[in-house]
Amino acid sequence: MKINPLRTSAFRLALGYGLIFTLGVSALLGSIYLLTKTILNDEVDAVISAELEGLVDEYRRGGLSQLGDELTFREDSWGTTGAVYLLVDRNLVKEGGNLQTWPFTGIPSERWAEFPLSARRPNDDLVRHPVRASIFLFPDGHRLLVGMDVTQERRFIATFRTATLWGIVATALIGVLAGSWLSRRLTRRVQRAAETCDAIVGGDLTRRLPVRGSQDEFDALAQAVNSMVDRLAEKTQVLRASFDSAAHDLRAPLYRLRGRLEDAARSPAADQQLRDRIDASLQELDHVQRTLSTLLQIAQAESAISVANSAAVDLGELASDMADLYEPAARDRHLALTVQTDPGCDVRGNRQLLAQVVANLIENALKYVPAGGRIELRTERVGQRSRLTIADDGPGIPESERQHVLEPFVRLPGATAIAGTGLGLSLVAAIARLHQAELKLADNGPGLKVMLDFRAA
Amino acid sequence: MHLLLIEDDQEAAQFLLRGLRESGYTVDHSGDGREGLFQATEGRYDLIITDRMLPHMDGLALVKFLREQGVGTPVLVLSALGTVDDRVQGLKSGGDDYLTKPFAFSELLARVEALLRRSTAPDAAPTRLKVCDLEMDLLSRRVMRGGREIDLTAREFKLLEFLLRHAGQVVTRTMLLESVWDLHFDPQTNLIDVHMSRLRQAVDRGFGKPLIHTVRGAGYVIRDEDQSA
Repeated sequence: MKINPLRTSAFRLALGYGLIFTLGVSALLGSIYLLTKTILNDEVDAVISAELEGLVDEYRRGGLSQLGDELTFREDSWGTTGAVYLLVDRNLVKEGGNLQTWPFTGIPSERWAEFPLSARRPNDDLVRHPVRASIFLFPDGHRLLVGMDVTQERRFIATFRTATLWGIVATALIGVLAGSWLSRRLTRRVQRAAETCDAIVGGDLTRRLPVRGSQDEFDALAQAVNSMVDRLAEKTQVLRASFDSAAHDLRAPLYRLRGRLEDAARSPAADQQLRDRIDASLQELDHVQRTLSTLLQIAQAESAISVANSAAVDLGELASDMADLYEPAARDRHLALTVQTDPGCDVRGNRQLLAQVVANLIENALKYVPAGGRIELRTERVGQRSRLTIADDGPGIPESERQHVLEPFVRLPGATAIAGTGLGLSLVAAIARLHQAELKLADNGPGLKVMLDFRAA
Repeated sequence: MHLLLIEDDQEAAQFLLRGLRESGYTVDHSGDGREGLFQATEGRYDLIITDRMLPHMDGLALVKFLREQGVGTPVLVLSALGTVDDRVQGLKSGGDDYLTKPFAFSELLARVEALLRRSTAPDAAPTRLKVCDLEMDLLSRRVMRGGREIDLTAREFKLLEFLLRHAGQVVTRTMLLESVWDLHFDPQTNLIDVHMSRLRQAVDRGFGKPLIHTVRGAGYVIRDEDQSA
């Protein structure tokens, strides 16, 4: 299985952590930024308030004239402290201070107001300075404006904001890069392990996952998988040996029995009546033998880890061969056996076992489909899979029974009158499983449709 | 014809020995793998029949060893395992044919005859096969009987070809299934009989003398009854 590094849990985890980390850094830098901005503004406001209070005190002490003197005294403050002053009468006409005109249209509603001030630099460039100001209304209708140039503060805050944003972007970038590097590293290790597991499933029980000796969680997993495979290999060995001896031990007495019966039939002392009885016994023996070998075949297919002598098999060719083999027998039973194949339905498997599958399915149809019926063999590509379908228009199998009939010795009611071992479909299911093919029994409306989906070779 | 049977099951071996001797063969017997190998390398046998599971030496190891020694005597392997890969292993290690136990004696006899025929036949591949007035041209893929051309399907042609190559010899249904369809399983239906009856219709119908004969309990044979009888 190919792992897409962008869909791994390692990548998603790294991405999640990156996101949380970025959010944390954003909150931290953001609050520092907001706090700094507030402190700077408060400081400016405090200076302006103090100035304003001082000047109001001058007014209280000496009236407008003392305030005017004080303002005249501070006329050049713009160049040194960046402070601006303006005293206006009730008609907003200048009476003192270093501002030329009232900077607002009308009277600001807030206690604090801001306005831009154009000033000439020594080299004659016109520069706009942001000014923050507060206005005091005297009882006689005069207004005093005190302001501060906040260019430095604003510039500082702007720089701080840019730095904060870049910091967040950099954090996110580092998170993503580190995450993908980490996930790629993990993916490579997992990919290697998955490939090894695939090979093991494919039948190579000598393969093991690499253990680095770093005692990390991957080593723990690899060791667990390896001991599982050790156990599997051991079991398979034992199972195979016991099947071989079971096959041998069960066949040997049948072999001798058959020999004895045939020997007796050949003896000159045997008359026709005895020969016929021996023939009947031999036929009975054939049935036992057939059941036994089918059972052994099922057991073998179920216990095998992989398909022996596996090669590329053209499903279409196999279907045609089998149709050719069974067509005369079908015609004898007045059944139409047709075959329809798509090219390129290659699968990996054992031709003999796959032929057995097709044979069992066709023989079932021959047994159960009444005269005049149809049996269709079809092979086709369905996406990445090769599908073999055997469909008939016979009595079919009720949906509730479809899973059940795959079990050994299960025969549908009404089918017991028809000769059979009750093992045919079990063998089909076992061989399908061995080939990692999906076996589906479906309604052919009317009839039975058996589909086998193989991984394409 | 001189045969060697290597089989450790004494009772089964006795039945086989009796049957083979009754069929006119001279047969030696060994019940042990190593001893059987000595006999096989020293004696001049026309055919060796060996069991797969033997004491002291496995039947397949025995065949492999024989082949490495340059002994080309045809070998028929008998096995109680009967799985698909067991058969493949049997043929890979140098066996010429393979039979799963239990088998009908007639099956063994037919295969023994076929193997002996194969080893004694001249090497040159024939281009024409002929029995009585039935003639098959393997190059033009035409079949003539009594001067009349017979139309056959590709499969019927292969069936008839196999029969003609073993003319006068009994061929079993399993042998036909193996060689004509390359299938090694035991179908439950009388498939081969249906195919043979079709072939018979084509080859024998309308001609005075039937050439394809059913051998009860064994299989089929193509032969000119007048000559062989």
